This record gives sequence, structure tokens and C-alpha cells, in this order.
Amino acid sequence: MARTSSIQNKMMLLVLIPLLVWLGAFELVPVLRMIAMSFQNNDGQGFTLGQYVKGLTNPLYGKAMLNSLKISFISSVAGLIIALVCSYSITRFTTKLRDRMIMISNMITNFVGVPLAFAYMILLGSNGMLTLIGKELGIRSIAGFDLYSEAGLTLTYIYYQVPMAILLVYPLYNGIREEWKEAAAMLGASVWSFWRHIGIPVLLPGVLGTFSILMANALGAYATAYALTGSNYNLLSIRISALVSGDIFPNFQLGSALAVILAVIMIASLVINEWMASLSRRRGL
Amino acid sequence: MSYVRIENINKSYQQQKVLNDISFSIEEGQFLTLLGPSGCGKSTLLRAIAGLNEIDSGSISVGDRNITALPSKERQIGMVFQSYALFPNMTVFENIAFGLKMDKMKKSEYTPLVEEMIALIDLKGKENRYPAQLSGGQQQRVALARSLVKRPKVLLLDEPLSALDAQIRRSLRTEIRLLQKRLKMTTIFVTHDQEEALTVSDRIIIMNQGRIEQEGSPEDIYTHPASEFVARFIGSYNVLKRSDIGLDSLPDTELFAVRPEVISIAPLAEAPVAELGTATIEGKVEQLYILGNVIRFTVSAGGLDILVDALNNSTVHRIQEGMDVRLFLPADKCEPLRQ
Ligand SMILES: Nc1ncnc2c1ncn2[C@@H]1O[C@H](COP(=O)(O)OP(=O)(O)O)[C@@H](O)[C@H]1O
Ligand SMILES: [Mg+2]
Repeated sequence: MARTSSIQNKMMLLVLIPLLVWLGAFELVPVLRMIAMSFQNNDGQGFTLGQYVKGLTNPLYGKAMLNSLKISFISSVAGLIIALVCSYSITRFTTKLRDRMIMISNMITNFVGVPLAFAYMILLGSNGMLTLIGKELGIRSIAGFDLYSEAGLTLTYIYYQVPMAILLVYPLYNGIREEWKEAAAMLGASVWSFWRHIGIPVLLPGVLGTFSILMANALGAYATAYALTGSNYNLLSIRISALVSGDIFPNFQLGSALAVILAVIMIASLVINEWMASLSRRRGL
Repeated sequence: MSYVRIENINKSYQQQKVLNDISFSIEEGQFLTLLGPSGCGKSTLLRAIAGLNEIDSGSISVGDRNITALPSKERQIGMVFQSYALFPNMTVFENIAFGLKMDKMKKSEYTPLVEEMIALIDLKGKENRYPAQLSGGQQQRVALARSLVKRPKVLLLDEPLSALDAQIRRSLRTEIRLLQKRLKMTTIFVTHDQEEALTVSDRIIIMNQGRIEQEGSPEDIYTHPASEFVARFIGSYNVLKRSDIGLDSLPDTELFAVRPEVISIAPLAEAPVAELGTATIEGKVEQLYILGNVIRFTVSAGGLDILVDALNNSTVHRIQEGMDVRLFLPADKCEPLRQ
């Protein structure tokens, strides 16, 4: 009996081999190669911390990191707040409508990159539909909206963060049981007291977890920003791409160092978040 | 005037009438059980009293207050749910203190009350545990304490023991009853388990399909079921037609309930002659099994299956499956049933 099961286990491992090979070839090897390269000089030789020094001291890259963090943070917070409200109303829908909303969110989550940028250009670009309507009606804020600015970019980021956040936040509400509300009411709590003392504390760890994912999602985003602003807006992901695939001054080693820095920023934001989540997640849960 | 008065409550969901003109009352300090099969409207009624469900018509009063239109949080009623419904982010202490905190009580004021309650439910030393770290029975005790600490005017318990296993269910129901007596808490307890209802209650109301089927003390309901539904629901009553029994001296109704233990049984070959006022039925033993010192027979007689419980004495001992037997039913033990 034990023997067959150990043979079975070995068979199971065999089945995993294609996956492991794939992970190795397309994930692990490139990451190791990238890390190795980040410690080489511009000619791809030796061992040096020079690329990191350059990456961390050059004001251009410093600004790119700040911009990336800023747009990621703002779009994550905004996306999360919108998703918290939307998901809650979705939980109040009928089952049929609810399933549809979730399906739509699912589809929109994949609507990113160049197509999203293009859609926004049609709506809010210099000659976009809404922009023109805004001009006709004399609504300054719409007519004068510059999609290719920081504000425009933030708006598109928020746009693609919302459906993702809804998909992640919506199941959290299922964790709030109707009897808790009823029990709280029987004990004299108002609706607000319920959310303050029970609802929000129960949701918080999951909300923080969602926030980490949104941050990572936005920090790594590249195509949407590139399609909208080319390399005009200074984001870390755009800087990396310019160094790796740019035609003017390609520098794989510096690009790798910046990519490692971006990865470290992402991991740090995940760790900080996980730590906050564990503080808010009481032991019993 | 009674302490809690429920008058003419009606409630429908879509086309379905779930509560049909329900009226009853409870005295202060009484333990009342609503007993009925699943789906008969017990929870709907309890939740209406709690203010968690709206009603179509009727009125609910507690003491000299008509609470029909009040929101739940102003009714001063406690409720314990089948699923415990403890707040998972709060410790035992915090859960129990929650209601007092909502009353704007200061920590120094409520701490002794909460501690007293924790001692009463025997969870000393577990104040700082979270609900997920407690067993089901312990969680339900916390839920009970959380309601009781506010000294509600009425305590509602909706199948509080159903999620627990048999042994804990039995010990906790005794515990609930003792606590209720000690605090003189007016209580409405909902269950679908007749044994549970019979052991803990001062009074029982039996519900069926949104109506009250019978109301009375446990003894009353057990010995004098008023309808066929109650007779069948309360336990292993035989429900027999007048023609099955065939005695003239019976009261003037069509159906009778006969408890298995009032029927005597003897092998047909050596059966004595019936005494006056005792009906006899002849049949064949289909099945028998031994329940301690009692033997339970299933006797088939002209298409009827009659249950008979007999003490395991030497005559009874000789009766085998497949044997022809005669049953004796004393007329005065046949309970007339309304239809
Ligand atoms: N929210 C609701 N909507 C529609 N029907 C309901 C609702 N709640 C209960 N019912 C129906 O009302 C009847 C009584 O339910 P309930 O009071 O929960 O019964 P019990 O507690 O005795 O098992 C059932 O037939 C149930 O299907
Ligand atoms: Mg119920």
C-alpha cells in the first residue's frame, strides 16, 4: 500500500516536470540572469555595485521611483475605495445581476495596456468625444483635460485598478455574516457601530492584502503608460524599458539594476502590507 | 395581564402564509418552548418578536410597552442564534461586553458585570480567547452570556443547540434551564426536537404550518395530545381510528392516540379474555427489538402497524417474530384527537 502510494507520488512529480521546466526557463533563469547582469559594468564584465549606485543617485531615476510610487499609491487607494463601495452594492443585488457584474469586472480587468490607452484617447484625448462635448457645453474641466499628463495617467490607472479591486474585495463581503449584524442590532448597536466595531475590523486584513496586490499591479504596469505618454512621463517601468529596448542608449546592466530595485520596492510594499494585515488580523481568525 | 403578549400575528412571504393569526402570552420568568417541524414558521415568529422581520399585522407587547413598531435595538430583547453569531474579531470578554458598551457604560462599570457572567457560564480563564479558539458548546455559552449580561426583558433562543453534538446538547440544555431559573429570565426557546422541549420547558406551544396546534405543560402535551399531528410529532403514539378499536364506550371522536406502553400483548394461543372496557386487536408480530428492559413490538393487524412496548417478563419473553398475538387496549388510555 505504502509502496504504491510512493510510486504514485513519483508519477505525480513526473507530471509536474513540464511546469517546472517552463517555470525555470521563463521565470527563474531570466530573473537570475537579470540579477547577475545588474552587478556587471556597462560592458557586461566584472562585479560592481556601480549600476545600483547610478540607479539610486541619478535624480532622473530617483524621480521615476517617486512617480511610480505616487501613481501606484494614489490609483490603489482610489481604486480600493471605489471597489469597497461598488462591491458592497453588488452584494445587495439579486443573484443574477450580481453574477453579471462580477463577469463584467472579470472582463474589464483584462482590458489594459494599449487598447485601454486607445479607448481613453477616443474619449478624453485632445479630440476625444468627451473633450469635444465638454468644449461644446463650455465645461472647462472636461474641455481642458490633458489625458497625456500625470492626472490623465492617474485616471487610466484608477480605471484598470477598479475592476481588479472589485474582484478581490467582493468575496471579502461574503465573510461578513448577516447574523453578526442582527446580533449587534439586538445588543443595541446602530448600523454605524456594527461597521466600526465588527464589519471594518473583519474586512481590514483582506482589504490590506488587496491593496498590496493593487500596488504591485500598478508598479509593474508599463504598456498603458507607454501607449499614452510614450517616454514623456517619468515612470520606473518606462525607464527600464528605455534602457533595455531603447534605441538611443541601451544599457542592459543599468536596466537590470533598476528592475531589481523595482522588484525590491514591490516586495517591500508587500511585506509592509502583510505585516499591517497581520496586526489587524487577530489571532482567532 | 401576562408579561409578553403576542396578538394575532400574520406574515406572508410572496403567496405563502408563514404565520397564521398567532396569539399567545407568557408570564414573567416563564420558559416557553415553540416546538414544531422545520419550516413551520418558528424562526419567522421569533424574528418578528426580535424585530428582525416585519409582520403584516398583529401586535407584540412586553410589560406595559407595545414594541410592535420599535427597531430591534430598542426592544430590550436578547437573542441567541443557532450559529452562535459571535463577533470573530473580539475576545470572549469583548463579545460579552459589547452590548453594555453600546449602552454607553464605562469600562469600570461593565467589567464586574462581564466577569460575573463569565463565572456563571464557567469560562473563567478563557476571557481572552477568540471565538475560533472555543468549542461549539463554549461559543454558545458565550453567546448566551452576551445576551444575558444586558438583562433583557425577554430572551429568545432560536435552536441554540442544533449545531452541537448530542452529549453537549443534553448538558447545555440543562445548563440553560438552570441559568434561566436563576435569573428568572422570561425565555422563548425554539426547537424541532420534542425530547428537548419536553425536558426543559414550563410550557410548550406546538406549531404546524404557521398555526398553533396545541399549547400546554410538557406533561399535558405528552399525555393528552390534542391532534393527530401532535400525537405523531411528540413521539411514538399509535394513531388509531374508532373502527380499529371497536369499543362503544369511547368518547365521541373519530381518531385516538394510544401510547405503546399502555397496550399489553400476549401470544394468541394463551391469551386471556378481555376485561370490560378493554379492546382487543389480533395481529402478527412483524418485528421486535429490545430497548433495555423494555421490548418494542411492531404488530401488524389488518393493514395497521401498531407499536407495543412491554416489560421483558416471562410471558412476553416467549413472543417471537412471526407469532400471532392479541393486544389489549384499555379504553380510558385512548386519547381522543381533534381533527
Ligand atoms: N426570507 C424569506 N423569504 C421567503 N420565504 C421565507 C423566508 N424566510 C422563511 N421563509 C419560509 O417561511 C417558512 C417558515 O420558515 P422558518 O420560520 O424559518 O421555519 P422554521 O424556523 O420553523 O424552520 C418556510 O417555508 C420558509 O421557506
Ligand atoms: Mg428556524
